[in-house]
Amino acid sequence: MPERVILSIGTKKGLFVAEAAKPRRSFGLRGPFGSGVAVYTALIDTRGKPRLYASSCNPFFGMKVLLSTDLGKKFQETKSAPAFPKGDGRALANIWSLEAGDDKKDMWCGVEPASLFRSSDGGDSWEMVPGISNHEHARKWQPGNGGLCMHTILRDGQRVHVGISTGGHYVSEDGGETFTASNKGVGAGFAPDPYPEFGQCVHKIAGHKDAPGRLYMQNHGGWGEWDGPGGRRPDIGVLRSDDHGKTWRSIAKGLPSDFGFPIVVHPHDADTVYVMPLEPMTRTCPGGAPAVWRSEDGGDSWQRLARGLPKKESFFTVQRDAMDVDDVKSPALYFGTTTGQLWIGRDGGEEWSCLFDSLPPIHCVKVAVV
Amino acid sequence: MTITIHLPAALRACCEGARELSLSAPSVRAALEEIERRHPALYRSICDETGTVRRHVNLFVNTAHVRDREGLDTALAPGDVITILPAVSGG
Repeated sequence: MPERVILSIGTKKGLFVAEAAKPRRSFGLRGPFGSGVAVYTALIDTRGKPRLYASSCNPFFGMKVLLSTDLGKKFQETKSAPAFPKGDGRALANIWSLEAGDDKKDMWCGVEPASLFRSSDGGDSWEMVPGISNHEHARKWQPGNGGLCMHTILRDGQRVHVGISTGGHYVSEDGGETFTASNKGVGAGFAPDPYPEFGQCVHKIAGHKDAPGRLYMQNHGGWGEWDGPGGRRPDIGVLRSDDHGKTWRSIAKGLPSDFGFPIVVHPHDADTVYVMPLEPMTRTCPGGAPAVWRSEDGGDSWQRLARGLPKKESFFTVQRDAMDVDDVKSPALYFGTTTGQLWIGRDGGEEWSCLFDSLPPIHCVKVAVV
Repeated sequence: MTITIHLPAALRACCEGARELSLSAPSVRAALEEIERRHPALYRSICDETGTVRRHVNLFVNTAHVRDREGLDTALAPGDVITILPAVSGG
């Protein structure tokens, strides 16, 4: 079977799946699956026969994990969703991240309230990972506007990074047994201490498989005008680490705003990174003119990519998991908006066009070539 | 003491499409415990892992909301009907 580009699009009203032949000239759409129920994360698991997972976050009847083994033609619930152990006192409020693990059925899942779960049977059963879920800081983390969520899980052998809003960046060096807060250089604008040990509102962390020491972070920026205790703290929103997240430094200079949600790394070049700057107060496109910004030198300089995007009167938000990039030789970027448009940026974001313009508000976009 | 549980359409897939369940229980709490034993997926849709009835799920005994009776300790009589309904919402 020729290679296909598959998009999983999580929306306020269920999951959509889009598919195209590899040239990506046109995409067909199917769905919604889990209709009427919000989907905040999806995973296209390409280990062996492709499996599509999605969280189904039902405010009425609780959280489910959806699974498709036929590239998104039909979905069914796995046998169970993550759940806190009896007596823990916490109850699952949302599922924010699903990531593939080591062997074919190993999976990781980040949830709200911020905790980590792991499955060894492809999502049919789950166990809480106590090293981070019961970390001594865990009961001190505070919910951000989107809830107290573990939204990022990055794995590199025995090293596991997690991102928590609002908790910060934590890393494990022993396969998830123990975790340490690792936020040196990660600022917080909403606390008197501008650089606390933990508690930062990390929005997203991204890495590159061929350069595991290099990490990029979209942190909660927009504090350049702050004049309260602790002093000004500009440019804390976009950061880079070159030592596996031990230390971080700002790479926000040159961007129109250091506030945003997603951050994405080019699949073939760890120095190329993409962000979507937003106005910090409204969390919408600066001046009503959306643009993705790209750096090809690890964040030292930035270029605006907006050809084909609206030039005015566009005030949407792109949420933390609503931008992704495929790994075709000349990759395409994709982002979904809170106003229900799904955009494709061909040739690495040089030329944009709208694939679907009237979907429900989009929470997440994931792409894979299968 | 047999009572009836009436299920909304959204939850029938948790118990092989059944519209109603019959079981014996002296209280709403005991009825939920029996549901947990027989139909764990249905129970997880009604209660979270702390045992709390989900915020947007309403339980009625006959026509009375359990919050207007004795909550989960509301006593049941033979022939009572527990109706499970999602809360009304928009958006």
